Amino acid sequence: MMKKYLGPLSKDNPILVQTLGVCSALAVTAQLRPAVVMALSVTVVCACSNFIISLIRNTIPSRIRIIVQLLVVSFFVILVDLLLQSYLYDVSKMLSVFVGLIITNCIIMGRLEAFALSHKPLPSFMDGLMNGLGYGLVLVVVAFFRELLGSGTLWNHQVVPDSWYAAGYLNNGLMILPPMALILIGVIVWGKNRVTEKRG
Amino acid sequence: MKKFTNTYIFLYITALVVIIAVVLTLVSTGLKPRRDRNKQAEKCQQILRAAGHDIDRSKAVEAFSHLAEPLTDDNKQYRVICSDGTSGIAVRLDGKGLWGPIWGYAVISEDGQTLKGVSFDHKSETPGLGAKITEEAFLKSFEGKKLYDKDGNFVSVRVLKPGTSAEIAEENRVDAISGATLTSKGVDEMLKNLGSAKAQ
Repeated sequence: MMKKYLGPLSKDNPILVQTLGVCSALAVTAQLRPAVVMALSVTVVCACSNFIISLIRNTIPSRIRIIVQLLVVSFFVILVDLLLQSYLYDVSKMLSVFVGLIITNCIIMGRLEAFALSHKPLPSFMDGLMNGLGYGLVLVVVAFFRELLGSGTLWNHQVVPDSWYAAGYLNNGLMILPPMALILIGVIVWGKNRVTEKRG
Repeated sequence: MKKFTNTYIFLYITALVVIIAVVLTLVSTGLKPRRDRNKQAEKCQQILRAAGHDIDRSKAVEAFSHLAEPLTDDNKQYRVICSDGTSGIAVRLDGKGLWGPIWGYAVISEDGQTLKGVSFDHKSETPGLGAKITEEAFLKSFEGKKLYDKDGNFVSVRVLKPGTSAEIAEENRVDAISGATLTSKGVDEMLKNLGSAKAQ
């Protein structure tokens, strides 16, 4: 039973296997903190909108279902944005436009179409949750390497000792640019495929 | 698949939009005082930060009332007591970054010659690149820089790539952020406004 829901974390990872949500994965992963908050926001929005859509799935006319989905997703995204602005002001400033852009994250619409419309509310909620976490996992891994190698910090704390810099160590400026995020995701996809293949 | 009449579809979507609009309005209005407080506190904190005070946002409004007083009616200039005990003039700055507006405060010495400190903020600069204009290391580099050259002409404090334009004296320039050329240029342009602000 549980195994079904764990798929999005590895086997059916939305970013690595379904190649969804890559755009925001490039944008918010230069540092760890915004990546984590973004991951949590997407998870909340994905789980909640999956739940609501599943709840009302039998009343939605199929001709306007995309519009209905968009409305529900926007509702939760604006709600999350308002809450962040009120209670986590610093983080909301860091994420700025990317919170609003969760609306266009393909993972959420994808799960609504593929799962919530045809399943009961609780499984839908779990599906949204796990897909959000699967997305978040990749974000955090990419952000970890980009911040560590690109800025020499983690969670805004310096981890590369000053003595290294004195000895000629340089931060890799390429790491903080979006192309490097794409390359990192590519490397992760490659590694993941190797492992999956071996397991056969 | 169930068939839905046009009337049903029309009423369904209308009802959904109304419900969502009402809920969001209620939440937004309910949280507005909190958001306004956040903004006000942030502004006070920013001005105090430019004056060299490192004060937590929760205490910023109170500290501000002791340390600063408005000089103009448009809330763009304040007289503040700096962390070294001297007084200075905080001037509001507005400019354009790469993705959106950037703004900040510059505290000038009473004689208008020296920059005592600055603080910057931005709406949507890239994390890890342009967003670095808010970081301590960049802000510190402005302290004690001169707004006028040796001949008494206004040159502002220029933000330039290291190694370029040797004709600008060291005391009139700071190093730009590598990888964030356009945001750095925005800061450069923004500081030039200090010339006209002083004239007021």
